[in-house]
Amino acid sequence: MHLLRYIGRRILFVIPQLFGIILVSFFLVKLIPGDPAVMMLGPTASEESLHDLRDKMGFTKPLISQFVRYLHDVVRGDLGTSWQTTQPVTEDLFQRFPATLELITFGLLLAIAIGFPLGIAAARLKRGPVRKFADYYGLLAGAMPDFWLALVLIYVFYTKLNWIPAPLGRIDMAVVPPPTVTGSLVIDSLLAGDLDALSSSFGHLILPVLTLGLINAGPILKMTQSTVERTLASDFVRYAEMCGLPRRVVLRQAIRAALPSIVTIVSVLYGFLIGGAVLVEIVFSWGGAGQYAVQGVLNADVNPVLGFVVFSAVLSLIIYLLVDLLYFALDPRMRG
Amino acid sequence: MSGRAILDVADLWVGFPSYRQATQHALRGIDMRIAPGEMIGLVGESGSGKTTLARAVMGLVPPPGVIERGHVLFGGRNLAALGDEERRKVLGRELAMVIPNPRAELNPVQTVGRQISNIAFYHLGATRKEADRIALDMLRAVRIPDPERRFAAYPHELSGGMAQRVVIAIALVCSPKLVISDDATSGLDVTVQAQVLDLLQTMVREKGAATLFITRDIAITAHFCTRIAVIYAGEIVEIAETRSFFARPRHPYSIMLLAAFSHNPALRAKWTRSEESRRATAAGGCAFAARCVRRQPRCEQEAPPLRPSATGHEVRCHFPVEAAA
Amino acid sequence: MTAMLDVQNLVKRFPLAGTGKVVQAVNGVSFTIARGETLSLVGESGSGKTTVGRCILGLIDATAGDIEFDGKRMGRGRDIRSKVLRGRIQLVFQEPAESLDPRIRVGETLAEPLRHLGIGRADREKRAREVAEHLGLPARALDQFPPELSAGLQQRVGIGRAIITRPELVILDEPTSALDPTARAEIVDLLIRLQAEFGTAYLLITHDLSTVRFVSHRVAVLYLGTIVEEAPSEALFARPLHPYSVGLLASVLLPDPTLTHTSALRLEGEIPSPIDLPPGCPLAGRCPFADTRCHAERPAPVAVGPQHFVSCFHHQKIAALDSTIDNFARFQEESTKLLSVGAG
Repeated sequence: MHLLRYIGRRILFVIPQLFGIILVSFFLVKLIPGDPAVMMLGPTASEESLHDLRDKMGFTKPLISQFVRYLHDVVRGDLGTSWQTTQPVTEDLFQRFPATLELITFGLLLAIAIGFPLGIAAARLKRGPVRKFADYYGLLAGAMPDFWLALVLIYVFYTKLNWIPAPLGRIDMAVVPPPTVTGSLVIDSLLAGDLDALSSSFGHLILPVLTLGLINAGPILKMTQSTVERTLASDFVRYAEMCGLPRRVVLRQAIRAALPSIVTIVSVLYGFLIGGAVLVEIVFSWGGAGQYAVQGVLNADVNPVLGFVVFSAVLSLIIYLLVDLLYFALDPRMRG
Repeated sequence: MSGRAILDVADLWVGFPSYRQATQHALRGIDMRIAPGEMIGLVGESGSGKTTLARAVMGLVPPPGVIERGHVLFGGRNLAALGDEERRKVLGRELAMVIPNPRAELNPVQTVGRQISNIAFYHLGATRKEADRIALDMLRAVRIPDPERRFAAYPHELSGGMAQRVVIAIALVCSPKLVISDDATSGLDVTVQAQVLDLLQTMVREKGAATLFITRDIAITAHFCTRIAVIYAGEIVEIAETRSFFARPRHPYSIMLLAAFSHNPALRAKWTRSEESRRATAAGGCAFAARCVRRQPRCEQEAPPLRPSATGHEVRCHFPVEAAA
Repeated sequence: MTAMLDVQNLVKRFPLAGTGKVVQAVNGVSFTIARGETLSLVGESGSGKTTVGRCILGLIDATAGDIEFDGKRMGRGRDIRSKVLRGRIQLVFQEPAESLDPRIRVGETLAEPLRHLGIGRADREKRAREVAEHLGLPARALDQFPPELSAGLQQRVGIGRAIITRPELVILDEPTSALDPTARAEIVDLLIRLQAEFGTAYLLITHDLSTVRFVSHRVAVLYLGTIVEEAPSEALFARPLHPYSVGLLASVLLPDPTLTHTSALRLEGEIPSPIDLPPGCPLAGRCPFADTRCHAERPAPVAVGPQHFVSCFHHQKIAALDSTIDNFARFQEESTKLLSVGAG
């Protein structure tokens, strides 16, 4: 059936896409200033030992051959080693990605829960307090920096009200984390029935998720509002009214027709947040992948940066494939 | 006419106000009565106001349009004055519209069977199963080939002619008292148009529905309507029984519409003013005077009312064309 | 005398990407147009008539067949823009609002084709003014922008732009379908006048049969990419001999309630898809006269009168049917009487 053929074709297409991404990223990353040898051996190291180290790490060979070697390693699943953590990058990333994914998934869910209904209400109501509120909210959310909101929330809820535990990481150091099933501490605690771990991890999760959720609700609200407004003015909605279909049925049909655009922007946001949540990760010491990559850049540690790029590229491509499949389900015109 | 008219339009004025210019009037004093079961044709070109009339009848004049004067009564009720909920019970059930370009106006993400079934479901209180069965019956009634399979088709999978039949099915599923057909066959191939018109005529007769048949093509009305009304610049300029109308139309514009079918360019030229001589008339005169080959000074100063004439036509003209040839 | 345009066995197939199926849009169309003559190509959607027009213009490449203009064979694609042919074949589009640039003044749009012929500005403006007169456009229209004009006037501009280069052939693709009936009649009158004045030949591609009757010398009826009947205009309308022509003409409604479309011949169903056509006559699936031969073999054109050809094995049966559509002639008599009285 041609759906499977389509999926197969898309997955095959991922390979040249990845190649292009790695190619560009590799050469961009090599432009980052900073000499890892100096970083590793310290400023007092001798020129000779620096040169030896660079040789050992392969930095003295021409760039092309460095690239080829890197590619060769990636294909075998080896993303190199981070000289900061002294661990293979692959391991580092597998440890950190679940943290990022937990954060941005819940954050995006909250953003949808806020933005989507507000957007619909704003599209339906031309006047009134709800519409005004939605308009201002959309504006504000777009203008606010996420790390600033994070700090404000910490100040209010931790420093002043003490409702939230200290924003250091994902769980209290004294609490034993639950066995890993999904990678999300909150879900895993729930699955294990471990109430201590649950309350601790939830308490740590709530502020960063609130930050991401409140801010990203803005674009979702705006997109929902404009798309639903447009479909409410479209021909088939007019015809449905002429046929005397009830208001809520017509509204449901209009929203259904608006879904593809909303799904698009949610998926774009999701892909963006993989790296875009890094500021929030840093503020909350979340230990996520974005933070890891930023450390790599600051310390001229090339492998984590490239490894992060590869991981998030693969993740984004999977997300886009899933979104396209969702389109197939939503819009019968695409199936023809 | 005996009995209560199913549609009663009296002195209807619909205007579209705008900030700095004078209000544009789409309809200027329309009078029309349709008896139950009657099929009346309304012929006009683009900009004549015919679509605004259709929407006014449904109570759905789009903003900023307003009804400035007069009333529209459907079965004795003014739909524009009803609340949204009350009105939507009437639309689609007692008063239905057959639209042109159905593939653009049907819901693209729902099957056509489901869309017909929705009407039965929401208007007739049928269960989903019953509604689906009714929808399938309707698909058969409008003679769509292979109706079981087509039930699950989406609008974009159907040809223009088939989509038009679906729209007819949607309009007639509740056996409405009045069907408004607005340019319903424009864009269709001529053989398909013939089939669709035959179908529409058969079905409205079966259901005893009155029909307001709006079109640009006067030839269609000759074969499907009992009465013809011609609309120009928001006014009805002639209204008569079909046979009488075509035997001898009396308003110069009606004759112009018929002349468009003649093969004789000289005769057509006789009834058409050149572009240069179509000067705009000041407000207050006959709206058609600018294009009329028979205009006199009186036409530019005094707007003629719609008057009954000897042959039973009502004509809006100071100098209607003579009855006897 | 050699015909001005000679199309022989034109074939066009469009492969559908990814499915291996082929749309057989045009399947062996042949016709000629003499100088100053109007040939109408009549068909419904799916008949391939627009594709034929595009092939002649070189806008798309034909799959097979020959097109000769003025005795010279036209090659695949580029010739319409070549120096020797430029301006000699022109095109009028269906939607005037979409084919005229709304930001360019009418006068400039009219004169634009002359720029490509290397004619200087002063001459261009003069000719634009002349053409506007022929078109019956008011002088001030030249300075206006297309959206300021009515649809009928816009279409006149479209026609003006086509004839300003004094072409030998103008291809009109549904020129009146987007217009109101009165504007339609005016455009038809204009086309007839221009032909009388300049001797231009027209290839009129349309599904509007009432327009066809006025303006054509000859008519070719197209069905699923094949010409099923070709005849002088009066002959076709008075006595069509192909079942499809009969069905088509029977569907045309005239504004006279006494002239009902009587026909012993009813075409059921709709035109099938032009993908993977079965062998045999294209109408076989819908024709009440179809027999095994019709399903297996494509009928070749047979002469049944002066310049009158039918592609049907059963045309004699059709001739015997009393399905004369003399309605057209009768309507003309009556409408002439009606219209002769009372004009100012």
